[in-house]
Amino acid sequence: MGTALLALLIAACSTTPEAPAPDASAEMLPALDRTATLALACSGCHSPAGGAMASLEGRTEDAIRHSLLTYKGDAAGTTVMHRMMRGYSEIDIDAISAYLAESAAP
Amino acid sequence: MTGLSGTRRDLITGLAAAAALAGIAPIATAQTSVRLIVVGGGFGGATAARFLKQFLPSSAVTLIEPNTDYYACPFSNLVIGGLRDLSAQRFGYDGLRGLGIDVVQDRAEDIDPVAHSVTLGSGDVLAYDRLVLSPGIDIRWNAIEGYDAAAASIMPHAWKAGAQTELLRNQLSAMEDGGLVVMAVPPAPFRCPPGPYERASLIANYLKAHKPKSRLLILDAQDKFSKQPLFEEAWSAFYPGLIERRGAEDFSRVVAVDPARMVLSTEFEEVTAAVANVIPPQMAGEIAQRAGVANATGWCPIDAVTFGSALQPDIHVIGDATIAAPMPKSAFSANLQAKLCAAQVARLVSGLPPEPTLLTNTCYSYLSADAAVSITGIYSNEGGKLTSIAGAGGLSPNGMDPVIQGNEAMQAATWFRTITQQAFG
Ligand SMILES: Cc1cc2nc3c(=O)[nH]c(=O)nc-3n(C[C@H](O)[C@H](O)[C@H](O)COP(=O)(O)OP(=O)(O)OC[C@H]3O[C@@H](n4cnc5c(N)ncnc54)[C@H](O)[C@@H]3O)c2cc1C
Repeated sequence: MGTALLALLIAACSTTPEAPAPDASAEMLPALDRTATLALACSGCHSPAGGAMASLEGRTEDAIRHSLLTYKGDAAGTTVMHRMMRGYSEIDIDAISAYLAESAAP
Repeated sequence: MTGLSGTRRDLITGLAAAAALAGIAPIATAQTSVRLIVVGGGFGGATAARFLKQFLPSSAVTLIEPNTDYYACPFSNLVIGGLRDLSAQRFGYDGLRGLGIDVVQDRAEDIDPVAHSVTLGSGDVLAYDRLVLSPGIDIRWNAIEGYDAAAASIMPHAWKAGAQTELLRNQLSAMEDGGLVVMAVPPAPFRCPPGPYERASLIANYLKAHKPKSRLLILDAQDKFSKQPLFEEAWSAFYPGLIERRGAEDFSRVVAVDPARMVLSTEFEEVTAAVANVIPPQMAGEIAQRAGVANATGWCPIDAVTFGSALQPDIHVIGDATIAAPMPKSAFSANLQAKLCAAQVARLVSGLPPEPTLLTNTCYSYLSADAAVSITGIYSNEGGKLTSIAGAGGLSPNGMDPVIQGNEAMQAATWFRTITQQAFG
């Protein structure tokens, strides 16, 4: 990182940390947006080691979205994933699916 | 964008190769060298230290924890029920050290929120730019008359895992067949709302197999309890006549104990126990009071987006110590709160505004060696307040389906492996 940018960040942080960020730093943490924080919930159970909670490694965006939407749409479903997906919008599910497929890509 | 390698995709594909799945890639690139201190190396603190270091790789991350070994509470009820070895509950901090986190084996004795400093047991003073507190719970000694630290060596609480877990286990093993086991449950809020009832199930499972003339009596300060229909169904199916629970409508809150006589007293009766498991009222870990982040309830009010203290600047509080209802005090919650807190701290120190999201919690409870049930919640932290998303979450189905309950037991085991890996490596 350039020294100028570092200075900018330090300035931004030492004055009003809650203030809207300058554009440059808005791109600093591209993946720590809402989509990334939504996906942080998944990794508490799903790890590359798999087990009774499947590994998501190597799954395509379409495959993940299809599973999540199936859980969401199945009103009779009783598993944890069914109960959980009812709380997420289709927009969130699209974003999570894209994010997981991308970050778990080999 | 000076000095950065371009788009999000480039960053992710470039950096994720070595990273584990799902948002734990080293995605943040802010190189601000901030001093971050985490107090408490449990599920919340260990996870927070790891993710702070990942999201802000140039920052100095220090984890303060007095114990060399951490004993996990989740699955400790299996140890008490004789189904698991205590050594399977033990985790260390070498994994965190390997990531460049400075693990200081000491107690935080005091915190000065104005000076931004932490005083250690050794007398050393460490300065922070931001502090994350995850001290878990402390026991409110003498909230039950006579229940102090000495009493806990005779009537274990086993609500912090380790020596207490082993003590209760050994007392149950040594008890004669026919002995009465008594469990006292405090009023909410307390760590792990379904925990007492999972423990009751697994103690009953042990008694049924090894001490069939013994009984378990639960003296409960709560009227209703977590996963109640599922536990009650399981108790009558698996352990008929073995567990008796007296709820608060029967004025069954334990108000005093006499360890010398092994007596527990409610307002109306005295019960003599062969083994007494007293789960006492709790509060946020004592260091939270010292830091001035706990309010009159004994727990810590927070902004639920950043987990920033509502009472002190630049201090974040996560895990059991927080007031996060409807999110329960669980290891699952502490882990996710830690990750979200780390993400929002990374945004804040980089000058980005905090951003609300959705949170989840799932707690599994064992009913027997190979059957478990779960409760799930989905929460929004919009506006800094946690609220349950209506129409989502809830309990496993009733009906004692062995396939469903067997699957949930296997999921619980996978969850334990993943969550401990995320915290301790
Ligand atoms: C019997 C039982 C069963 C449970 N089962 C489950 C389950 O199945 N699933 C689930 O999700 N949760 C479960 N839980 C709950 C879970 O254990 C807690 O919610 C979780 O440990 C909270 O994490 P924490 O970081 O807030 O606190 P802790 O994990 O307790 O960590 C706190 C740490 O802070 C340290 N500390 C305290 N004060 C200081 C200080 N002054 N200086 C430095 N360090 C300090 C302590 O030594 C400790 O290591 C269970 C709990 C119990 C009791």
